[in-house]
Amino acid sequence: METLVLPVLLFVVCAAMLAIGMLAAGSLIGPKRNTAVKEMPYESGMDPAHDARRRFDVRFHLVAIAFLIFDVEVLFLYPWAVANTNPAGLAAQVGLSQLVVFCEVMVFVVLLTVGFVYAWRKGVFQWR
Amino acid sequence: MIEALVKIAILLGGLMTAAAYFVLLERRMAAWIQDRVGPNRVGIPLTKIRVLGLGQPLADGVKFITKEEYTPAHVDKRLYVLAPIVILVAALATFAVIPFGSMIPATVFGYRLAEKPIELVVAPGANVGMIYVFALSSIAVYGVILGGWASNNKYSFLGALRSSAQLIAYELPLGLGLLGVVLASGSMDLGVIIGSQASSGIWFAIAQPLGFCVFVVAAFAEAARLPFDLPECEQELVGGYHTEYSGIKLLLFLVAEFLHMIAASFLIVILFLGGWHFWGLTGGSAEIDGWGLAWSGAPWLQGLLRIVVLMTKITLVIVGFMIIRWSWPRFRFDQLMALAWKVMLPLGLINFVAVAMMQQLQAVFTGAMGPSWLMVPIAWGVAVAAWLGITWAAPMIADNRPRRELDPWEIDSQI
Repeated sequence: METLVLPVLLFVVCAAMLAIGMLAAGSLIGPKRNTAVKEMPYESGMDPAHDARRRFDVRFHLVAIAFLIFDVEVLFLYPWAVANTNPAGLAAQVGLSQLVVFCEVMVFVVLLTVGFVYAWRKGVFQWR
Repeated sequence: MIEALVKIAILLGGLMTAAAYFVLLERRMAAWIQDRVGPNRVGIPLTKIRVLGLGQPLADGVKFITKEEYTPAHVDKRLYVLAPIVILVAALATFAVIPFGSMIPATVFGYRLAEKPIELVVAPGANVGMIYVFALSSIAVYGVILGGWASNNKYSFLGALRSSAQLIAYELPLGLGLLGVVLASGSMDLGVIIGSQASSGIWFAIAQPLGFCVFVVAAFAEAARLPFDLPECEQELVGGYHTEYSGIKLLLFLVAEFLHMIAASFLIVILFLGGWHFWGLTGGSAEIDGWGLAWSGAPWLQGLLRIVVLMTKITLVIVGFMIIRWSWPRFRFDQLMALAWKVMLPLGLINFVAVAMMQQLQAVFTGAMGPSWLMVPIAWGVAVAAWLGITWAAPMIADNRPRRELDPWEIDSQI
């Protein structure tokens, strides 16, 4: 465990140091000249009308919710995919033969597909 | 500890240099495709020698650093600075579990470097390797949406929304395409996945063509390369989520984007194109046995040869990325979402079910679980059938025209 986590943490720390170091170098070396126009948001030369953080389309929420559901369901399949090539271990751990577990997973996939078809029929994926 | 630090130094240096030089390669390729010359002037500094423009990345870097490191007044300062750091760290940290070769022997000219042969990956034996890669590719979404939100600019905001919707939508086909590989190799450790392809000699692109197609398309979308570069389509959104960024912060975003592409090609090669394996050249076992020769340099030669094979494949995939970028038009956003949800997700499910069924049939009839040549024709049959079916159905499912001929009652029932 230690041999796995330590290098990954080291890598993340080194990468963060690299990124922060580059930012620091840029702010040390670069010039500093401020003007009123520079401080405005860039909107193709127009004066910005109002704040950019406004209400946005509900379809983005739908995509996020659909992603959450299907991603979690797909994630459930990974432990089985790893365990499936080891029938003896699978039988010892869950007390079921590999074929029964396979059938259960297929039932799960059918349920997933039914949910997918339902969402499709309800127009979740319709981007008008 | 020392070993890990040396590997991290090699990877960080190599990746930053590679990203810089792939930018040059990309510009030269673009010039070649568009029948121009491209950047060929910058050579060795302070001399007049031009070596094919190889000094260009260096000049670009110097220019980026000497630009003003500017934070506009209307932004959320902390998040604005945090976003490029998050996206670059996530892009770099992905490589902690990605092998950049097989392994090299522990001794060099009789001097012992380590206890056992050195595996060329920062965190060897990471049995959650692929989950880690997925987790970090999701963190990249945070960088994008933080950048777009903090900028307080309408282009940035729209770009970030689009970008996050695209990235999360294509994460599903990516996961489903990968699921078949995990099922066939029985591990999520990238080293073990290469090993299983090398020992059977069947690359997963051959054994699971449908999964390969789904994964490659999803990887293009995750890397936001051209048919899918909606996050920053210049003609609509100026610069997308990094419109308000300049100087070194913009550089961090651009480098992170290139690193995403490099990571995607690493994954395509490792998961589907055999990693360091090539038939009759690198040997099939995960250990470096030096082809069983008595000569003591043979393991070294074999280890280095595997690195060369891996890097050649990755470079070819990246060149493929670039050719596609400069020869394909961009999707519209509704087409992009329809492709993710209505085409790639069903194809991914079909691939997963087909792989699971074939493996189960094989286990019932022959008792063996691993990949075998017997299943390859069936897999190709499934792939062709699924592709033809989708082609037949595509005009119907990708039709997003506004339905003006419908009356409100009918539209209500559809929503």
